[in-house]
Formats: sequence, C-alpha cells, structure tokens
Amino acid sequence: MRSLYFGILTAVFWVLAGTYSEISWRTVRPCIPEIGRRDIEPTLGQGVLLGILGGMRTVIADGTWVRSYVLWERKDRPGCETLMRTACALDPRSRYFWENTGYVMGYDMAHWEVRRRGGYAKVPADVQEHLYRSYARRALEVLDQGVVNTGGNAALLIAAGQLAEMKLKDQLLSARYYRSATESRNAPWYAPYFCARNLWEAGQREESYRWYRKIWEEKLSKSEDGAPDDLKNLREMEQALHLPIIQRIPRPAWEK
Amino acid sequence: MKAFMQRTTWITWVTFLEAIRQRFFAFLIVLGGAMVLSSVAFRFMDFGHGELKFVADFGFGGMFLFGSVLGVVMTAQLFFSEIDNRTALTLLAKPVSRAEFLLGKFFGTWLVLAIFVFVLSGLLGAVLWSRSIELNELAEKMGRLAPEFSPGGLVAFALLQWLRLGVVIAIVLTIASGARTFLYAVVVGALAVVAGQLQWIAQDVLLKPEGSVWYRGVLWVTSRLLPNLEQFNIGDALVLDPTSVPANAVVQVAISGLIYMVAFLMLGTALFRRREI
Amino acid sequence: MTSAAISVRHLTKDFRVGLRGLKLRAVDDLTLEVPRGQVYGLLGPNGCGKSTTLKIILGLVTATAGEISILGQTYATAEARRRTGFLPEAPYFHKFLSGRELVRYCARLSGVAPTQLDQAVEEALTLTAMTEAAGRPIGTYSKGMLQRIGLAQAIVHDPELVILDEPTAGVDPVGSVAIGRMIQEMRSRGKTIVLCSHLLGQVEQVCDRVAIMDRGKLVLEGRVEEVLSRRDRHVITVESLTPAARAAAEAALAAHGAKVTSVTHPRRSLEDLFQELVKGSRDA
Repeated sequence: MRSLYFGILTAVFWVLAGTYSEISWRTVRPCIPEIGRRDIEPTLGQGVLLGILGGMRTVIADGTWVRSYVLWERKDRPGCETLMRTACALDPRSRYFWENTGYVMGYDMAHWEVRRRGGYAKVPADVQEHLYRSYARRALEVLDQGVVNTGGNAALLIAAGQLAEMKLKDQLLSARYYRSATESRNAPWYAPYFCARNLWEAGQREESYRWYRKIWEEKLSKSEDGAPDDLKNLREMEQALHLPIIQRIPRPAWEK
Repeated sequence: MKAFMQRTTWITWVTFLEAIRQRFFAFLIVLGGAMVLSSVAFRFMDFGHGELKFVADFGFGGMFLFGSVLGVVMTAQLFFSEIDNRTALTLLAKPVSRAEFLLGKFFGTWLVLAIFVFVLSGLLGAVLWSRSIELNELAEKMGRLAPEFSPGGLVAFALLQWLRLGVVIAIVLTIASGARTFLYAVVVGALAVVAGQLQWIAQDVLLKPEGSVWYRGVLWVTSRLLPNLEQFNIGDALVLDPTSVPANAVVQVAISGLIYMVAFLMLGTALFRRREI
Repeated sequence: MTSAAISVRHLTKDFRVGLRGLKLRAVDDLTLEVPRGQVYGLLGPNGCGKSTTLKIILGLVTATAGEISILGQTYATAEARRRTGFLPEAPYFHKFLSGRELVRYCARLSGVAPTQLDQAVEEALTLTAMTEAAGRPIGTYSKGMLQRIGLAQAIVHDPELVILDEPTAGVDPVGSVAIGRMIQEMRSRGKTIVLCSHLLGQVEQVCDRVAIMDRGKLVLEGRVEEVLSRRDRHVITVESLTPAARAAAEAALAAHGAKVTSVTHPRRSLEDLFQELVKGSRDA
C-alpha cells in the first residue's frame, strides 16, 4: 500500500514537472536565441552539436565562421554556404554573420558560378543575369532572416536594399528595405535619401517626394544641423515636379 | 524525520569527502578554470559580438561542458563504488533506508558541483569585471556605449547552472539505481542529458498549436519524460543584458529544476528499493 | 514474540541469470532457528547459499518464497537493523577515513546518541584491539585490521544480534584466534552471534550450535557436541603403556565384549602448536 502511494506521488510529480516546465520555458524563451534547426543539420557532426546543446555557442559560431573563410578562399560554394548558414544559426543575434553571409551569397557566389561555367566570355549575358538574380534572391532570404533575428538591424536592411537595387534591379523592393532601415533604431543618415531616390527612379516621383519630405520635417530637420543635404535633394525634387512655391517646404532661416 | 535528516547528512558528508578527493574533479576544475582565464587571450577570434559576450560564452561553455561530464561520470562512479566495493552492504544493513542512501549520494555530489560552479563563476566574474572596467574606459574615450556586465546576473546564472547540474545528478542516480554496470549508467545518463538539452525542440513544437492530436500527444509525453535543460542556459541575457530577462524568469526556472529533481529522485528511490545489493 | 533471534521458514531464493533469465536456486527450502544468546555457526562450501541467506535476513535481498523473523520482527525493519550488527565478507571501507572516523560514522548511522558517541566508539575500538591504529587511514590497514575495524563498526551501537560473514577470511591464525576471543567475549555479554565461515576448526571452538548447508539446502543442524560426537566409540588416554600392559588391557576389554579398534598417539592441532610457538600478535 505504501509503495502504491509512493508510486502515485511520483507520477504526480512527473506530470507537475513537465507542466511547470512549459510555463517556465514560455517565460525564458525570448531570452534564448532561436537556432535555425534545418540550417545546422548538415554540419551537426562537425563540433556544432555542443553549440546546440547550450555551451559555447558564440565560440563555436566563430570557429565555424573561420572555417567558412577557408572554403571562401577555395571558392567552394556549397561548403562555404553551409558553414556560413551554420554560424548564423548558432548565433542568430550576430549582425556580422547575417550581413556577411548575405554579401558573400549575393555578390561572390554568383561570380564563382559564372567562373565555374567557363567565365564571363563564355556564359551568355542572360544566363549571367539569371545567376545574379537567383543568388541575390537567396541572399535576400538570409538577410530577411537576419532582420527578424536581430530585431530589425538597420545595417542588414541597408545591405538588403543594396542587393535588391544592384543585383535584382528591383528599385521598389530596394526602396522598401531602405524605408524599413529609416524606421529602425540607429538608422544611417543616408537611408531616407536612398529610399526616396529608388522610389523616384522607379517612377513613383510624387510618392517619393511626399515620403522624403515627411521624414525631413518630422525627423531630419530636427537634427543638429537640420540635414541640409536632404533639403537640397528635396528642393531638386520640388523643381523637377514643378511644384508651386506655396506647396514647397517653407524656407528655413539657415538655407542658402 | 530528524533521524532521517541526520543519517542523510552523514552519508552526504562522506560522499562529499570521497568526491572532493577525486583526481577527476581536480582535473576538470583546473581545466575549466584555465579555459575561463584563457578566454581573454582568444578574444581576437571574436566577430563583432562584443568582447564581454565572447569571454562570457567561453566561461559558460566550460561550465556547461565540464559540469555535465562531471555530473554524469562522478555521480555514476560514486554510486557504483559503493555497490561494487560493497560499502553499500555495510550501510544498508544499518537502519539506513534506500531513500536516505540515495539522497546522501545526491547531496554529496551536488555539494561538490557547487564548488565547481561557484569557483568557475568567481573566476569568470573576475575576468569579466576587469575587462568591463577597461572597455568602459575605452568606450568613454571614444564616445561609444559602454558594454554592460551584471555581477548579480552572474550569481543568478551560477545558481541556475548548479540547479541544472542537480537535475543531471538526479537523472544519473535514477538510471544508476536500475543499472547493472557503471558503463551503462554513464552512457545512458549522458544520452539522457543530451536528450534533455534538446527537449526544448519538442517543447517548442508543443507550444505551437499545429500538428495532429496523436503527434501532440507523443510530444506531451516526451516533454514530461525528459526535463527541459535548455531553459537554464540564459547566462548571456542574465550577465550581459539583464533588462531583457523577465523578472520572474530565474525563479520560475529554479522551481522547475527543483520539481524535476524531486521527481527523478522519487523514481530513483522506487527503483533502488527493488534493487538487490 | 518468538524466543529465537532469527527464525527462517521454508526460505527459497532464485536468481535469474543470463539473457534468457535461467533460474539459479541459491537457497532451497531452508528452515532454521538461531536461539538468543548463543554463537551459531552457518557452515558450507563456497556458493552454498550462506551469504545469500544472511542478506535475505538483513533485507538486502528479497526472498523468492518463505518467511523470516529477526528479533521478533517479520522482516528486517529499520528497528530490527538498529539492533543488529553486520560484518560483510571481505569488508571494504572508505580508505580516506581513519578507523575512528569510520566507527563514528557507523555509530551515527546506527542511531547512537551524540552524548554516548565517544564512549561507544572507544569501547568498540578497545574490544577489537584497534585503539592504537584507530587514528590511521583505513587505506593503510592490513587485512586482519580491516576485519577488526569491520567488527568494531558492527558492534559500536551495542547490538543484540551480530552477524559475521567470514570474519576470519584472509586473516592469519593469530588474528583468527583474536577474533575468536572477541566472539566469545561478545557471547559472554549476552549477544547472539551468527558466524558464517568455512574454517571448521574455529567454528568448532566458538560455536554453540551449527548448521551445515550444501547447494542451498540445510544438511545438518544441532549443538556442536551432539553433531560431532560418535556415541558408539570411546577414547581412553593412557600414559606409559607397555606392550604387556596393552595386551592385558585388550584381554580385559575383550572379556566384556569390547574390542580395541585402534591405538594411536594423541595429536595436538596445528593451530595449538602454532599458537604455542608464535607469541603475541604481529598486527596488534
């Protein structure tokens, strides 16, 4: 009878332990960086397991990154991509890994692929273009993941905007990234201009001017120097749009 | 109850004396200490995480890795040394219950691991503190944001690591209570700890409302059989970004660890009662 | 309450061995009683089930069938174990503890009150002649000293029943005799002692009753004198027996229907000779 009570009590504790750990896990979950489980599968046997288990994630991610450089020098695309993605997965809060993985995938890997197929002289231009676009799309996926994991890091949004503009030639997409960068913490001073320029060049000239002006009036004009370069850009836009004086930005005292 | 506590305390003390004398413990604590101290020398390998994060990660990793090895191997060794050398025969022929014996083993080993965790945490704290002073001065000169280091967070982390190792000891003792050989207890114990460390994957899936009832049922059982050991790994946040940790997180994780310990020790006692010495 | 210190009825123990779980019968329908205040010898060759029987009595191993009673309790309760002392076969103790620390540790586990602790420890060490070596770590002890410190930990809490499993195994004759004396001393204090051994000479000297086991079964049980004496044979020891006197004696016996079957010289036991020649204990 005593054994039965003991058994029942043990079972109660087991259920209680599992149930309570769900509650505590919900509380601490946001403090623990997410691991991209699919990304680390190919490298599980290479010392990465320890990182997943909870120890030395930063150190192992750094080690993995160093190893990816070796493969980068050898222009080993699959190996390099696997290791770089592993580093990102192990330490997903590191801007550095996401940004550089995006750059390497978007710029270098397409170039390697062209060389592998015989070089720029042999590969037709449309195939080259196709390769650049497909690698740029993959790089944007990586950067998008990075943006989510780093809480909307401005540098990653800028890198994505550049890729969209230069490799995908998609200026509306590029403008969307620069707009997000402008709205993020620690946005660089040039982000609003890049967004406005891309919108402008994509044909959305009024939209571009309206947004740029709004940002200048609400944020940039309140900076220490009043952002004179942005005001100059806006004046050029006003002129190009033939806006009547009354609709233009009132002239601040310091404007030359 | 008083006699129960007294007997458990005596077995704890002798277990502690036996464990603290082991070369394996001395070797791992020296290795862990060397790792923590050498982390400053390896900081050139860091890729933009911030130096303190790199150093802290090195220290946490050492504590996690060597602590787990120590928890698994030492627990199994201390248990089987009593069984194989037949000292258990002498003890259990006295008015000592199986529960007292198992609890004595548990607390003795846990006490040794307290020394391991708190010595390494002290070393890590000293390294982080000295580096944070230098980095703060540098940040001030360059007009940058100074890196954050919370000594209180480090103490909280050390306590959580100690609790995690308590759960590991309880798991290994439970396995050893039903195991025939030391090797079996070590191998199965290590696998159980790895599974516990990955249990959060099951729990993450469980917390999401997708999947069939059957699938969710299997996950429900899995997450009750294995403890979630990953929840103790919030060192980065506690030490370097304490404001990101919810106020009740440490207490909740600690309670969860204590419940797991009690659950495993109860199961271990039930298994050990059936064991023939 | 039964008058016997230990009572075993129809005790059977099977062990499962191998992957197929083949049954190995270690104790087979054993029934015996150990009276209080006596030294009881449990004899038999290695593997005959002596140690298993003792382990079942102490609750360290569960019986497959049968009943036991120890000091009036139906199984080895904590209370029964508190009143029992046990020295296992080839005892091994934590090497880093000193002899005194070990005895103290065991005394605390056995429930000796803190106020009586020092006295109980010193008495146990004195009885086992371990006072001088008590401060040394157990790792430095000889086999004989290990047995004696084992005996000290078994009796430190002044138990009513002392179970000794091969207390003289690996101990030289001097040490064996010393342990024998300790057993007799304990009997004189009213303790019940169960002595499990295959040193028949010693058992014969110290035991009141013996039981002989073979292949798990009890083959003989009774008082030592009863078991050993042959009632149809007599020994007469004579000094200065000349051939003429011998012939006359044989004729006189034949006249009464008796027959002399052998005439030999009486022998000392090797143990007596050894004790006579070797003075003092080497490892005391």
